[in-house]
Amino acid sequence: MSDLAVHFEGVSKKYPHFTLDDIHLELPTGSIMGFIGANGAGKSTTLRILMGLVHQDRGAVEVLGHSMPADQARAKLDLGYVSEDMRLYKAATLRWHMEFVRSIYPAWDETYAASLVRCFDVKPEQRIRGMSHGQRVKAALLLVLARKPRLLVLDEPTTGLDPVARHEVLGALMEVLADERRTVLFSSQNTLDVEQISDQITFIDRGRIIDSSDKESLLDRWRRVRLDFPAGVVLPTLDGVITRSTSGRLTVLTANRFTPAMTAACVAAGANVRAIETMSLEEIFVANVQQRREREAA
Amino acid sequence: MSAQMIRRLILKDWYFMRWAIAAYLALGAIALLLVATGGEGSFYAGCVLLFTVLISLGIHLAMATVVQERSDQTLPFVMSLPISPRDYTTAKILANMLIFLIPWLALVFGTLAVIGGRTAIEDGLIPFAAIILTWILVSYCLLLAVALVSESQSWAIGAMVVGNLAFQGVLYGVSHIPSIARTMKGDTIVWTPAAVTLIVAEGASVALLLALTFFFQNRKTDFI
Repeated sequence: MSDLAVHFEGVSKKYPHFTLDDIHLELPTGSIMGFIGANGAGKSTTLRILMGLVHQDRGAVEVLGHSMPADQARAKLDLGYVSEDMRLYKAATLRWHMEFVRSIYPAWDETYAASLVRCFDVKPEQRIRGMSHGQRVKAALLLVLARKPRLLVLDEPTTGLDPVARHEVLGALMEVLADERRTVLFSSQNTLDVEQISDQITFIDRGRIIDSSDKESLLDRWRRVRLDFPAGVVLPTLDGVITRSTSGRLTVLTANRFTPAMTAACVAAGANVRAIETMSLEEIFVANVQQRREREAA
Repeated sequence: MSAQMIRRLILKDWYFMRWAIAAYLALGAIALLLVATGGEGSFYAGCVLLFTVLISLGIHLAMATVVQERSDQTLPFVMSLPISPRDYTTAKILANMLIFLIPWLALVFGTLAVIGGRTAIEDGLIPFAAIILTWILVSYCLLLAVALVSESQSWAIGAMVVGNLAFQGVLYGVSHIPSIARTMKGDTIVWTPAAVTLIVAEGASVALLLALTFFFQNRKTDFI
């Protein structure tokens, strides 16, 4: 059995005004991948292809050992999917939805469902029509979590939630993620959410995956270096520096493959290192996207 | 799993439409009562109500179970269940046909029974009534096919307009077919070759529309 829960190989999908281009993606079983991209970057299209809801034009997709979209009915028995644009039936109660989902999935855990009802503070007898957006998202998550899927696919589930609801949803997700056998693919524009729960990070921009690695090494290799350059000192060419901005004597380097040798080379050239700063996921994402876009425009 | 899931999806649509079905059946019963009792005015009022009930039932069903599933964004929820697009199409067609055919059959047989049982109404009207009521089924299948394939409110409204205009045309056209016009006011039921041909053509149209729905659904690559 493959130890990859998700495997995309050269996947493309063309629309009149958008192309998802040659996507290669691997998600090891048991990992939690944060899938980050701006609006219209291709996150939802990628996840819909993963679910078999959209068929790729080219390339192969394998999910939990099933070829997609051909074998989607069997694959979806072990898949839990919640997306920002997914709604439940307004006229029905949450209880009706719980009964409906329970009748389909043998793995439905009634005790766990009851604990999620308490944790999310939702009322099973309430109709979906009367619920707030936050309650509806929690209801949809409850329906997915209580059936204990092997792979959880969450397409911007926290979008539009107030801070309290977001905190509750993320808290519940983190509890779920304590189960090491469960694999999660979590897309979001909110890098803070992703940073909290993910161990793998993938950036997507304009239909292309621009970076994908484990979170720790990603955060490790990106640095912002502030240097003081006396007049007449020339900065050597450094591998791994993607941007360089100078204001007076101060130069700021952004590096995507930072090593101590980099600062040593600057010092050897006569520069003073003022600071070596770590970067947040959001800063890394923005720098990454800008660099790619500038390179494409050039 | 596939047959089990299709069954669950059919039951889901039945559950959401159960009160509407009951309401249409009740209105249909009132229509039949009007046809069965009273004078000429009551007969025509009953006929108009009966046609309205059947046409409205079809529109209500297609809009609520297909078009609304997309506009209300419940389609991603359904499609995330362990089903294939083919299962979804099968479930939708079976659910719709089942939900429509139960009241439709009840009202068609009720109408034919009233015409046959009431001496004031000529029995020769039965083939004409059967053709017109079957046309409503054809019209419903057209609407269902367009709604499923397009998932668009605008296209569905277009199909409704076409169906309703065609209904008026069929009403006029069939009543002016000489062999049918000659026999429909008689006391005996005469299945003329024209009447039989029309009924068979309507049945074939239903089968063709449903087959085309499967064909176009199978070619789709995006389901939400």
